[in-house]
Amino acid sequence: MESASIAADVGHDDHHHGPPMPNVSSRVEAQFLGMLLFIISEVMLFGAFFTAYFFIRVVADSGWFPVNDVDLPKAIAGVNTAILISSSFTMHWALEGARNENRNALRVGLLTTALLGLTFLTMKGNEYARIGFAPHDPTQGTIFYGLTGLHGAHVFVGLTLLTFATVRAFRGHFTAKEHRGVEVPGIYWHFVDIMWIVVYTTVYLI
Amino acid sequence: MLNPLRSEQEAFRFLLYVVVVAAVLVGIVFAVRALT
Repeated sequence: MESASIAADVGHDDHHHGPPMPNVSSRVEAQFLGMLLFIISEVMLFGAFFTAYFFIRVVADSGWFPVNDVDLPKAIAGVNTAILISSSFTMHWALEGARNENRNALRVGLLTTALLGLTFLTMKGNEYARIGFAPHDPTQGTIFYGLTGLHGAHVFVGLTLLTFATVRAFRGHFTAKEHRGVEVPGIYWHFVDIMWIVVYTTVYLI
Repeated sequence: MLNPLRSEQEAFRFLLYVVVVAAVLVGIVFAVRALT
């Protein structure tokens, strides 16, 4: 019995062409594992920036803001926060559309998410242009631009992933069973939104 | 146990929790500042 099994294995190897199959030692799919490790490294990156932020805030004698008689635009940033949070709802709607084989919901959901993300970035750029201080002005300005800019870069990466997912959705690539191309960017997009809630709460509000 | 990195559904649920926690935290900070 054992020799028959070995013979079958040898026969299988004889017919296999190309590189050997990778050893899959995890129960997590490779795509999810990659995004999981990436997001964990991102949390550490944001952690480093938050460490700098809290250090500067603690040692700043004159308080956090206003600096140079300029205060942070909390209301506009609040509207921008609402836009970004709503984009997570449209992302979830798109995923539900993919799961239920509702292609219109998937397409409209992804497109709306991308447009809301683009609106957030545009408003952020407008905020930078009108805020009244530069990254080199006070130390608070440096960490403000550092933290919000780091987040803005992540929104840009998320938008790039969403663009790919949207184009693929319009080409009919996703089904109820196979929609990892939407799910993985969706996890990333929610992570970006969660980070913004933390940034907005700590930098603008508290 | 909720793992936001396992699926989009769990990530979305985690996002909602973060929104609620942030709102409560801001409310507490503003209340303390108003009282002191």
